Amino acid sequence: MHAKEFKIRWGMVIDVDKCTGCGACMVACQVENNIAPVTPEVDAWAGVAYDASNKLRTLNWLTVYEINNKKAFPEYEVAYMPRPCMQCASPACVPVCPVVATDKNEEGGIVSQIYPRCIGCRYCMAACPYHARYFNWFDPTWPAGMAKALSPSTSTRPRGVVEKCNFCHTRFQQAKDKARQEGGDPNSLADGAYNTACAEVCPSGAILFGDLNNPAHKVHALAHSKHSFRLLERLGLGPQVYYYSKREWVHRLGDNYLPNEKKA
Amino acid sequence: MGLDRRAFIKFIVGGAAGTLFTPIPWKLADDSSIWSQNWSWIPRLKSGAVTADATYSKLCSAGCAVKVKKVGGLAFGVKGNADNALSQGGVCPLCANGAQMLRSPARVAGPLKKDGSAFKAISWDEAEALLADKLKGLKGQSGKVAAISGDGSGTANEVLSGFLAGLGSSAYYYMPSDQTTMAKAWNGIMGGSGQIGYDLEGADLVLCIGADIMDAFGPTVRNQKAIAAKRPIEGDKTVTLLYAGPVRTRTAAVADTWVPVSPDGGAAFALGLANLLIKSGKGASLGGFGEFAELAAKFGPDAVEKAAGVKTEALMTVAKALLMAKNPVVVVGSGSGQGGGVALAAAGVALNALLGSLTVLPEFPKAVSHAPDRSGLLAKDVVAWLADVDAGKAPTPEVLFVYEANPAYALPQAAAMAKTLDKAGLLVSFSTYMDETAALADLILPAPHPFERLDDAQSPYGLGKATYLLATAVAAPEKDCKSTPDFILGLAGKLGVDLGFGAFEDVLKAKVQAIGADWDALAAGGAFVSDRKGSAQADLGASALAKAAAAPKAQGTLLAALDHLNIGTGALATPPHALLTVRDTELYGKDLFVQMCAATAKSLGVSEGAKVKLTAGGSEITARVALNEGVMTGVVAAPLGLGRTAWDPFTKGKGDNVSKILAVSAEPGTGYSVWAGSAVSVAKM
Amino acid sequence: MEEKKGTKCCGGFLAFVLGFLLSVVAGWVLFPGMLYSELDQPIPFSHKIHVEDQGLTCDSCHFFREDGSYQGLPTNEQCSGCHSEVVGQTQAEAKYVQEYVQKNKEVPWLNYQYQPDNVLFSHKAHEPFECTECHPDVAKADKAPKYYENKLSGYSKQTMKMWQCERCHAENGVSNACHVCHK
Repeated sequence: MHAKEFKIRWGMVIDVDKCTGCGACMVACQVENNIAPVTPEVDAWAGVAYDASNKLRTLNWLTVYEINNKKAFPEYEVAYMPRPCMQCASPACVPVCPVVATDKNEEGGIVSQIYPRCIGCRYCMAACPYHARYFNWFDPTWPAGMAKALSPSTSTRPRGVVEKCNFCHTRFQQAKDKARQEGGDPNSLADGAYNTACAEVCPSGAILFGDLNNPAHKVHALAHSKHSFRLLERLGLGPQVYYYSKREWVHRLGDNYLPNEKKA
Repeated sequence: MGLDRRAFIKFIVGGAAGTLFTPIPWKLADDSSIWSQNWSWIPRLKSGAVTADATYSKLCSAGCAVKVKKVGGLAFGVKGNADNALSQGGVCPLCANGAQMLRSPARVAGPLKKDGSAFKAISWDEAEALLADKLKGLKGQSGKVAAISGDGSGTANEVLSGFLAGLGSSAYYYMPSDQTTMAKAWNGIMGGSGQIGYDLEGADLVLCIGADIMDAFGPTVRNQKAIAAKRPIEGDKTVTLLYAGPVRTRTAAVADTWVPVSPDGGAAFALGLANLLIKSGKGASLGGFGEFAELAAKFGPDAVEKAAGVKTEALMTVAKALLMAKNPVVVVGSGSGQGGGVALAAAGVALNALLGSLTVLPEFPKAVSHAPDRSGLLAKDVVAWLADVDAGKAPTPEVLFVYEANPAYALPQAAAMAKTLDKAGLLVSFSTYMDETAALADLILPAPHPFERLDDAQSPYGLGKATYLLATAVAAPEKDCKSTPDFILGLAGKLGVDLGFGAFEDVLKAKVQAIGADWDALAAGGAFVSDRKGSAQADLGASALAKAAAAPKAQGTLLAALDHLNIGTGALATPPHALLTVRDTELYGKDLFVQMCAATAKSLGVSEGAKVKLTAGGSEITARVALNEGVMTGVVAAPLGLGRTAWDPFTKGKGDNVSKILAVSAEPGTGYSVWAGSAVSVAKM
Repeated sequence: MEEKKGTKCCGGFLAFVLGFLLSVVAGWVLFPGMLYSELDQPIPFSHKIHVEDQGLTCDSCHFFREDGSYQGLPTNEQCSGCHSEVVGQTQAEAKYVQEYVQKNKEVPWLNYQYQPDNVLFSHKAHEPFECTECHPDVAKADKAPKYYENKLSGYSKQTMKMWQCERCHAENGVSNACHVCHK
């Protein structure tokens, strides 16, 4: 599929060697995007509690994966990989959507998801090789009183629709408004003027966010570093999320190389 | 023309056809489609100005400087405070839940009194009268009024301990932590003053022995920031991070080198390093150096290998790295943030002294003048005291206050400790949440959530410089709570105990003035950082250390309890949104998972997923096995913080409480209660 | 037989036309009135008093905040700047002060342009347009316009529909990408 060209390409560079897997980003993401904690009572009728102690039916726009080099003690090594939506250049999820509820058409290259339009067929979930899309098995229910003040950034979604990370897109809009208010150019935001909740909260500074096309943004150069790679790069979807690691095994695992396969 | 049946039908058909030329069908179809998206049962967003107010969030043990985000005046989220020197814009996985925990289902709505097996709501005035009445008769009787605090940094401790002192009691204890162990070593055994600090900002090499600085030790956000600042994503790394411990923890995951050290071998490893440093000509100006050098000489590479499981080569490499570094800093602690030996703490001080990087922070002046000194209180041993109470060697408290702590859940051998706590005449919990201790208490006097109250923090343990922070009330109260120090000040007034202040705000103002900081700057979210250094005069305490280090090695499988901040702390169960961050290899459904490497599993005769029973310290827990090659052979790693019996549906009954099987023993030489690296028996179920 | 049929046909046609006309009239004249409930603002607000008598400008109350977000309908925070106590003679003001300011409650103003949560509208991005291109011109009105609430959808009659947004965007060469307006 021909990839659309964008003047701005929001992207991330995630330093895998810095991430301690603390989980602060996952919490910040849920708060920013009004992801309700799946309550144990919700699915009581099925006899199984599908709450977050069983990740089968949870919504994690951002998941921190733990990966390892598959070696025995003491050569064993681990790395943590926060996985947002990759906002692919040629997303696999977009062409399969029968109702155009998801699209990659806005300047910035963020793959959109419109909840009221989604019919919940989940073709996109099947198509996404990164498991970045999640299905609302339940209506969002917060413990009594907790929803008194939700984040104004993201609308709440009902049961039966698919959702995913959108790089805290409302913050993009807010950054543009702020730029306009201050007399700046909304189409040329300074590095850091628009930042995602996960990158903002990260205590290790492992998540960097910015415009991959803008040389003034840190991520621009970092994405081209020889230590940067993208997940399943050989699939050719062109993710806008880069991972950075100086560890060879992390690179190899990032693209599922066979044990004896030579890395391109 | 009469209206017959046919005409009527035609009239209707005409009407129907006419409708098509009106907006009725189209408008109705359109509006129904809009109506179908109304989802009235789903929460709506609130609109209004989005603002952010800075405060200090004490949800995690050390606290994070945060900004509480509000929409239309209601708190909904948290972001970092980039201007604060301590957290520099980062937030830990617990404090990130701050706004949600304001409305946690586990919050206590107001003062409660135990009535049979249930609780009855009472008023604050009734609570005060009840306590005043009870305490009146206990004034002047030693040991009859006691308190356990879980807040290692707040001035509220001065109010509480000063109040106890005014009642004639000195039974004020802190919950065990790396901070209390270090206080026992530095302020107790070694006779030092002030607080041990770690200058990570100035270090070019950081060696962590046991201390999981990225996850459980001290102010983790500051630790993460300090290390990250010296390891830019591109460009030269200016700090080397080494981790020595039995488990490839989160610190080890990002460390340059992981040196596996058995759970009870930290002190031997540290002394082995000290020996090599002394041999290469390093010395320390602390008292008793000769004696210490003699002791260290006993920890040659062979002895270290035997006691800590560290190969000579690995030991030499670490020693060499320490010698080569310009500003090496050694951080010691227990992997679980508690129960580590005083020997390890003292050896850590000695190592830093040998390396010329011993950092001592001065204590800030007290606000409540007749409150006992903080360092002295920190050095006390709450576990030993409760054991004495249980054995009848110490008086059973008639009134036991529990502040910012959850001893019934979080102390080692938790089940036995909870029984002892229950013996107290009147157990008073100041918990914000219905935790295990509150559930056990006779009286719950809920403290406000950290965002609803005035509080402070003086040099959270682990920092490299004396630092003072202020927390202000930035969110409207959600429940009928009362600031604990304010309540105590009121109570003190009734009982004729003069603490010199009528309100906690005045205490803090006096404190801020005494340390020479600016209230407004602190209230705006700033940190007061002092460059003053404390006195590094002390004795190396080699004689006590010798006895402790000579203790026989524990036999069998050893338990390495792990403290992961995202799972919660003893005093705070996993917040609803943080449950998602708990891994399937730690908790799955209702099953706790313990980690071990394949070799250990083989020798224990268990396989991945097998159900096992872990027994130690007279208690047992059940768990499943998760294979993890990041755990040393002969060691079982288990996460603390699960298996709650109170709290909310998100945490209650999930997994098992590993604290139950932390077997306490008295450390030879120091007599201090230790449980890190205790033996555990694992049986297949 | 044939005659009968013819008559019936003719009479039937009339019935058809009658039915047709009646429903067209009902659809265009009666239906709109039935679809909407007519509501008044909780406090009768006079822009005229504020603008002409007190000399306030539009952006005294409807202004851009520092972050570029828009203070649409003012809240007590703005209003109580003047109305912390009763300052005028009107009953409406007295009611506002007593019921809302003193009880620290926000007025549940009816928003003529109310949009659902999933719509993100930036006033800042639309600043070059005249307010009245989308909003009723109330600057000189002594009475707030009637609020018509759609009985079925619950939205205001004036709430702009997606096609209206899209048409204007298309006409002005602005992107109609989903995320431009949705959150």
